[in-house]
Amino acid sequence: MANVSGRTYGLTILSPIIEDNSRIDICHSMELRWYLSQLPRDHRSPFAKISSTYLARLVVMDDVVFVGLPACEEHLKSRYLVFETNFDGDLDTYLRRMATETGDFVNAVWSHCVGFPGTANVDAFIAYMKKCQIETTFFFADVNDRTVDSTLKALHTQASLAEFMETHQSMPVAELQQAFGRFLEELKNARPLPHGGDESRDIPQERRPNG
Amino acid sequence: MVESAAGKIDVSDIQGFVLKGYNFPHARYLLLELGAPEAARAMLMPLLKIVTTGERWDPKNKPLSTVNIGFTHRGLAALGIPLESLLSFPLEFQQGMHARGDILGDTGKNAAENWDAEWREGRVHAWLAVNARTSEALESRCAEMLQLIETTQGARLIRAQDACALFIDGKVSTQEHFGYKDGFGNPDFKGAERRCTPGQGKLDENGNWQALATGEILLGYADEAGELPPAPDPHLLGRNGTFMVYRKLHQNVATFRRYIAEKGAEYPGGPEKLSAKFIGRWKDGTPLELSPDAPNPAIVNDENRNTNFTYGADPDGAKCPLGAHIRRVHPRDAFGFNGGLVNRRRIMRRGLTYGEYVPQNQPVSDTDEHGIIFIALNASLYRQFEFIQQQWIEYGNDAHQGNAKDVLMGNHGGKGRFVVQGTADPTNPPFICGGLPNFVELRGGDYFFIPSLTALAMMATNTVDPR
Repeated sequence: MANVSGRTYGLTILSPIIEDNSRIDICHSMELRWYLSQLPRDHRSPFAKISSTYLARLVVMDDVVFVGLPACEEHLKSRYLVFETNFDGDLDTYLRRMATETGDFVNAVWSHCVGFPGTANVDAFIAYMKKCQIETTFFFADVNDRTVDSTLKALHTQASLAEFMETHQSMPVAELQQAFGRFLEELKNARPLPHGGDESRDIPQERRPNG
Repeated sequence: MVESAAGKIDVSDIQGFVLKGYNFPHARYLLLELGAPEAARAMLMPLLKIVTTGERWDPKNKPLSTVNIGFTHRGLAALGIPLESLLSFPLEFQQGMHARGDILGDTGKNAAENWDAEWREGRVHAWLAVNARTSEALESRCAEMLQLIETTQGARLIRAQDACALFIDGKVSTQEHFGYKDGFGNPDFKGAERRCTPGQGKLDENGNWQALATGEILLGYADEAGELPPAPDPHLLGRNGTFMVYRKLHQNVATFRRYIAEKGAEYPGGPEKLSAKFIGRWKDGTPLELSPDAPNPAIVNDENRNTNFTYGADPDGAKCPLGAHIRRVHPRDAFGFNGGLVNRRRIMRRGLTYGEYVPQNQPVSDTDEHGIIFIALNASLYRQFEFIQQQWIEYGNDAHQGNAKDVLMGNHGGKGRFVVQGTADPTNPPFICGGLPNFVELRGGDYFFIPSLTALAMMATNTVDPR
């Protein structure tokens, strides 16, 4: 089935950006670039709210680049906003969540795009996005077919277990078993899981040449 | 032009420090700020006859001391190298180690604000290194160098950094301050005069050890990918040269001893075995892969055995932990593909300890001057040293250790964790060491270019011509 790999849906959307030469201040594509550059990428990212997201990417595509002969010189008819995301579950649910849970963000971005109907009418929004959709054939590979939530839970379990082992490894057996029982209870009733978002390392995004 | 027996490299053109580990116990690194270009060049002229090359020594007439020289990018600029040449050096060398701090994980305790002043302020232009067999020879050679500097006014001495092998019971040893015998596993490369020792080069499809491509260590030669690593213009400026990483690593000996004593008491294998699990070798140098239960002098003393091992038969880290230091920095066959993912990540180490040796049973303090002047040579700082530092020391994903840092050198900040994978054997159980402090702290350093004799002559005579 197109766009689907196991449990993961790969969405690729190209929305033409409004070209309005009558604007006297900043043009739509520059304003959009500025807005995107300010978007947080950690737990404050709008995509952290839509917790089924593995990876999301927004790029302003200006044009194809002519690299010199023997390539042909070609140009796109429009600038495009490229939106790529991999997530769990089905497309309609995801788009519905985008409109209802991150409406401000969606409007701030897509208001620069041609034909965008807004998010007030969710069905119209979904139809618009599907109209801009193109088929996804490459996926973000580092997903082992578990949902984002279960992956985050597994990481949390692993980290908690590692800490438990570190602090209890020399304990006598009977005591250890009791402590482990308590640990399992706590784990079951775990507080809200950590949100996704890229704050795994201290190095700012721009400074990772080898990563 | 003197070709090495292995063919094709001109050992008289390459600085001896690059081609050989001199194994002289005494060293002094004269850190210099260069004077006006004409004076600096006037200082370089006599050095052309003094700088030690890679030519073979007459075994009956080995020199008492050696002299070698390297320059930071600022130093090359101070020498008046043409702008076009200056700008043709690799980016990371131009930036210098200080500016690359985020990439290298030199933050917190390792951040530049904690460095010695001359490194923090980026004032070092040149590294003039004297290595010597005796302390008398060291003093007299250094005096000669200082005289040259004084006479020509070519430079100002900012600091003389002493380094010295640890003398234990009156004898020179290759031990460092934590008690580990060091210096194993330097890469063999084509053209080097010494014999290929099994375990030092790369593995071929038949499981035999071969020398690495010359271009992994020297500029101007094909590297393991068959490419020439990025090198400055003109070709003659870079050829037969290399890049050197210099990092002054302070060792917190008291903290290390305390940590091993504490955790070693909990660890069923005992403190000596735990110490071995940290590194991948027992303190005497016996590799865990070859002798997981006890040190073995017969193995250590045999150069055909002491670094001749692979990890293929130990995929779960039962003998040598997956995150052990030597396994991290030289994975050998651990990544499959016949080592192809490892062969371009090798570095030549030439470092030396500094500070007085303190026996295990004597008190010691973290604030005492103990450490290693870590020196590594590679053709590409970015691809080799920086990659190892960022991906294998300050991160653990390739070793399947998540984001855990190297136990010995990692910038833990008190929160690090090291896992000893174990087995059901009660003397080799799984064990977790938490709350890792910084055993090692960075006190400064930089990236240097070690020019060939030809390049040095061009610099001295102001004939570097990028066209």
